Amino acid sequence: MSRIFTIAQSEFLTLVKTKAFIISIILMPVLMVGLIFFMSFAERHVDVETRKFAVIDRTGTLFESIRAAATEHNQKTMTDGTRTGPEFVPSLIDVGGRAADDIKVELSEAVRKKDLFAFVEVPADVITSAAKPPDIAYYTETTSYEPLPTWLRTTLNAEITKRRFDSAGIDQALIARLNTRTDVTTFGLMARASDGTVAEAKEVDEVARLFLPMFFLILMFMAVMTVATQLLNAIIEEKMSKISEVLLGSVTPFQLLMGKLLGVVCVSLLLALVYFSGGLYAIFSSGRWDLLNPALIAWFVVFLICATLMYGSIFLALGSACSDLKDAQSMMQPAMLLIMLAYMGSFIVIRNPDSSIAVGMSFFPTMTPFSMMLRMAMPPGPPMWQAVLSVVVLILATAGTVWAGARIFRVGILMQGKAPTLPELLKWIRA
Amino acid sequence: MSAIAIHNVSKRFGEHQAVNGVSLTVPEGSIYGFIGPNGSGKTTTIRMIMNILIPDSGDISVLGQPRTANVRDDVGYLPEERGLYKKMTVRRVLRYYGQLKGKPVAEIDVAIKDWLGRLQLADWADKKVETLSKGMAQKVQFIAAVVSRPKLLILDEPFSGLDPVNAEALKDAVLEMRNRGTTIVFSTHDMNAAERMCERIFMIFKGNKVLDGTLDEIQKAYAHDTARVRVTGGAATLAGLPGVESINDHGNFQDVRLKGDPQAFLQQLVQRAAVQQFEITKPSLHDIFVRIARPTEE
Repeated sequence: MSRIFTIAQSEFLTLVKTKAFIISIILMPVLMVGLIFFMSFAERHVDVETRKFAVIDRTGTLFESIRAAATEHNQKTMTDGTRTGPEFVPSLIDVGGRAADDIKVELSEAVRKKDLFAFVEVPADVITSAAKPPDIAYYTETTSYEPLPTWLRTTLNAEITKRRFDSAGIDQALIARLNTRTDVTTFGLMARASDGTVAEAKEVDEVARLFLPMFFLILMFMAVMTVATQLLNAIIEEKMSKISEVLLGSVTPFQLLMGKLLGVVCVSLLLALVYFSGGLYAIFSSGRWDLLNPALIAWFVVFLICATLMYGSIFLALGSACSDLKDAQSMMQPAMLLIMLAYMGSFIVIRNPDSSIAVGMSFFPTMTPFSMMLRMAMPPGPPMWQAVLSVVVLILATAGTVWAGARIFRVGILMQGKAPTLPELLKWIRA
Repeated sequence: MSAIAIHNVSKRFGEHQAVNGVSLTVPEGSIYGFIGPNGSGKTTTIRMIMNILIPDSGDISVLGQPRTANVRDDVGYLPEERGLYKKMTVRRVLRYYGQLKGKPVAEIDVAIKDWLGRLQLADWADKKVETLSKGMAQKVQFIAAVVSRPKLLILDEPFSGLDPVNAEALKDAVLEMRNRGTTIVFSTHDMNAAERMCERIFMIFKGNKVLDGTLDEIQKAYAHDTARVRVTGGAATLAGLPGVESINDHGNFQDVRLKGDPQAFLQQLVQRAAVQQFEITKPSLHDIFVRIARPTEE
C-alpha cells in the first residue's frame, strides 16, 4: 500500500507542477475575475468623448427632435459634473442646391480631418413611405463604434413612429398603455411550517437555476479533461523513455495503476477545492448564502472521484497500449468522444432535467457524473432513489473500468511497436 | 541458499521460443555473467527473474522465495533500456526509485550522497536529468538500482555505450557492491569484462543454455587447441600450414586453432619463419562465444 502512496505522491507533484495545470488552476480564475473587472472599468471610464456628427435631414423636420434627444442624453450621462458616457453633438447641414454626392464627400473629408466623428443622412420619405421606408445612412471612419449608431437607431425610430401615429390620429400613449406586458415570475413551492405559519415561496432566480449547475458542469469537465490528458501524456512518456520497466522492477502493474489514479484523484480534488474556495468567496462577498449547499458539494465530490477514476483508468489503459504520441492521438479519440458526449448531453439535461432522455443519460455511467450532477443541482432535483441508484451503477462501472484498465495496462505497459486494435485490447482484458 | 534458482523455465512469444527449458543456479555472493548474442533470450530470462514476465512453464525462486513479488524490495534492477524522468532532478528520481523499494527517505539520502560522490556526480544532484550526458545518465541509472541496498543486483548490459573511463568507474562500483555482500548478475557483450569480473558465466543461445560454469571449467572444455603465435610475415606465413584449422588475426599476433599436436606444428613453423612467440593458450571467452554463435557453424 505504501508503494501506491509513493507513486500517487510523485504523480501528484509532477502533475501540479506542469505549466498547463498551473495555468488552468491559477491563471484561469484570475483571468476571469480580471476580465470582469476590466469590463466594468471599461464601461464606466473609456467612452466619455464628445462625438460631433452632422445630419443631412431631407425630411426637414427631424433634426430638432434629434437635437432635443441629444441634449437629454448628454444631461443623463452627466452625474455630479463627471461624464459617465459619450456626449453627442449634432449639427444640421444646410444642403442648399448642392448635389448629394458633393456634400457627402465634403463631410467625409471633415470626418477624416477629425472635425466630425460621423454624419447621417435621413431620407425624405422615412416617415411618410407606405412600404418599407428607405434606410437611414450612417457614415463613419470608426465603424466598430456602436454607441452612436445604436442611440440614433433608438432615438430616430421612436420619433418616426411617434409622428406616424400622430399623422394617423392615434394616441400613442394609449397604445403603449394597452400593450403593457404582464410578466411571469417563477416561484418554488409553499409549505406550512409546524407552527401553522405559511412559509413564503421563494422567488427562483437565474443564478440558482443556471449558474450553479453550470459551475458544477464546467468544473467536472475541466477536472476530467486535465486528468485524462495528463495521465495519457505521463504514461506515454514513461513508456517512451523506458521508465515503465524500472518501475515494474519495484511494483506490480496494479500498484502502478492505482498509484497513478490516486494521484490524479488528489489533483481533481485540489482543483475542486480551489474553485469551491473561489465560489465561497463569491457567495461571501455577494451575501448569497442560500446558494451554499453542502449536500450538493458532497454529491459533487463523489461524482468527481468516480469520474476521475473511470476516465483516468480508460486513458491509462489506452496510453499503456501506445508506444508513441502519434498512436496515442488516434487511440484517445474515441475516449475523448465519450467525454464530449457526456458534456454536450448535459445541455439537453439543462433544458429539461426530468425528460426521459435526461433520466436515461444520468444512468449511463460515463454520463452520470455530468448529467446526474446537473439534475441534482437544478431544483427540485431527481427523486432520491434515482440519485442513489445512479451512484451505485456509477461505482460498479468505475470498479469494472479500473479492473479492465488494469488488465490492459498489465500487458500494454511492456509492449513496444504497433498499437493494438480494439479486438486485441478486448483479448488482453480476457487473457 | 542460492540467490536465484531457475528450473526448466520456458517462455514463448507467439511463434518465437524465447527461452527453452533453461535451468540455472546463482550462488549467493557471486558475480554471475550472462552472455549471448542479441535476441538469444538474455533479457527475457532477466525479466522472468524480475517477475515482469511470467514463464510459460518451470519454476523460478529468488532469494529463497518462489515468487519474486515477495522479494522485489531486495532486488535492484538496471534494465537494458534506461529510464529516468527527464524533468526531475537527479536527487528526486533516485529518491523516488528508492522509495518504491520501501526504504525510508533518510536512509536513501545517505546512499544517494555516497554513490553520487563515488561516481563523480556530486555536483549534479540537483540538476535535471535532461541536462546529463549519456554516460552520466547511465551512472545515475545504476545508482537508482543500488540506493535501496539490494541483496541481489541484476544489471542488463550495464557497460554498453560507456566510454572507457565511465565503464571502469561502473565496474569498480559493481565490485564494490559485491564486496558489500550483494549477489550480482549482469548480462554483457563485453567479453573482457565478463572474463575479468565474473566468477561464473552463463551463456544462452537461441533460447537454450549452452555454457554454464566457472571461467576455468569453460575454458578447459574448449582448451588444448589454441596457440598464440608471433612470427615474421604474420598471418600470411601461417596460412596453408598443415594442422591449422583457423586463424584469428590480431595484427601483431595471431591466435591459431590447431587440429593436431601443437609441438609438431611448432617444428614446421620454425623451419618456415623466425618464431618470436609461441604460447599454448586457453581460448578467450570471446573465441568461445564466437565459436558457438557464429552463424556458419549452425
